[in-house]
Amino acid sequence: MYFLIITFGFLLAMRGARSAPLQKPVEGLKRIGLEAMDLFLTVSLILALWAFVATLEKIQPVVRDFSILGPGLAAFLLSRYQKKTDVFFLSVMASVFMINAEQYGPLQGILLAGVVSAGIALFQVCFLGLRYKLLFAHMPPSMRGWPSLCLLAGFIALILWSFGGLVF
Amino acid sequence: MLLAYLPFMVYPYGFFRAGVAVLWIVVFLWVTVAFFWFTRRLFPSRSLKPAFFLWLIVWAQAVWTLTKLPPYWIASVFFLAPVSFLEDAAKPSHVRVFSKEVPRYFFERVLAGIGFAGFVMLLALIREIGEKRMGIHAFEQPVGMLLVIAAVAFLWKNQPYRRRE
Repeated sequence: MYFLIITFGFLLAMRGARSAPLQKPVEGLKRIGLEAMDLFLTVSLILALWAFVATLEKIQPVVRDFSILGPGLAAFLLSRYQKKTDVFFLSVMASVFMINAEQYGPLQGILLAGVVSAGIALFQVCFLGLRYKLLFAHMPPSMRGWPSLCLLAGFIALILWSFGGLVF
Repeated sequence: MLLAYLPFMVYPYGFFRAGVAVLWIVVFLWVTVAFFWFTRRLFPSRSLKPAFFLWLIVWAQAVWTLTKLPPYWIASVFFLAPVSFLEDAAKPSHVRVFSKEVPRYFFERVLAGIGFAGFVMLLALIREIGEKRMGIHAFEQPVGMLLVIAAVAFLWKNQPYRRRE
């Protein structure tokens, strides 16, 4: 789950919803909050639907065999319905797959979806805050762009790694 | 390419298995680009993007069923696919199948695939050395790999010949 948070937190921070300008961090925080809530609700809805479908005895083998196709299609349709980005859809699909792979019950799955969404939001908030601070730092041109962004993501991953042991 | 590597980071594979997985991703990318290049005129307008994602989901399911490879690789394929590939505004109808544009287009995709494979193998090698030989636990985690990627990005950005330009 920690890998999922770092990977998709970074991807959503770079290619997620249309980001607010860095000069307005409060607006950016609002968007991150809404995006995290949407991610949580979408993943939870798919998990609940899949758990419900899995209780129907006649189609249980089908559900077991198509554990990617079914949730993947649901993730795509729900993402399109909400007019979300492609990265959002990929994040939902990856989260659902990873939670399903752990074979928890529906309630634990939804709890885990909450933890993942909160973790991704925390990553994005830290990333936004550090990028905002960098606006006022005299960074050498050779470090601007991808080198500094990967370095920031690495530092945040380092901090979340220390918390990861407590949560998972 | 950096973004395409991130989903790959989730796989806890050693050097050999990472090589097999990246080989699959690159071959699949080439097949996907070729398939959609030659068939995109058959899709109704605005249906190309859903068709592309449906293609990815179906293949993710098939590969999972056959090899148990988790489906994160489709995100790598998504980031490696050309940007104009899914845009509704892109009109390829004026490009003839046997024009010079086609070899150049595919040559760029082939280079992107080879570059990605080389990049992943380099990082897998660094991960292997750092984790197994040197015993640095950070290389088992995204932390170590992100710091290595930052170093690679720094070196790439500050190549001597680019600085002279």
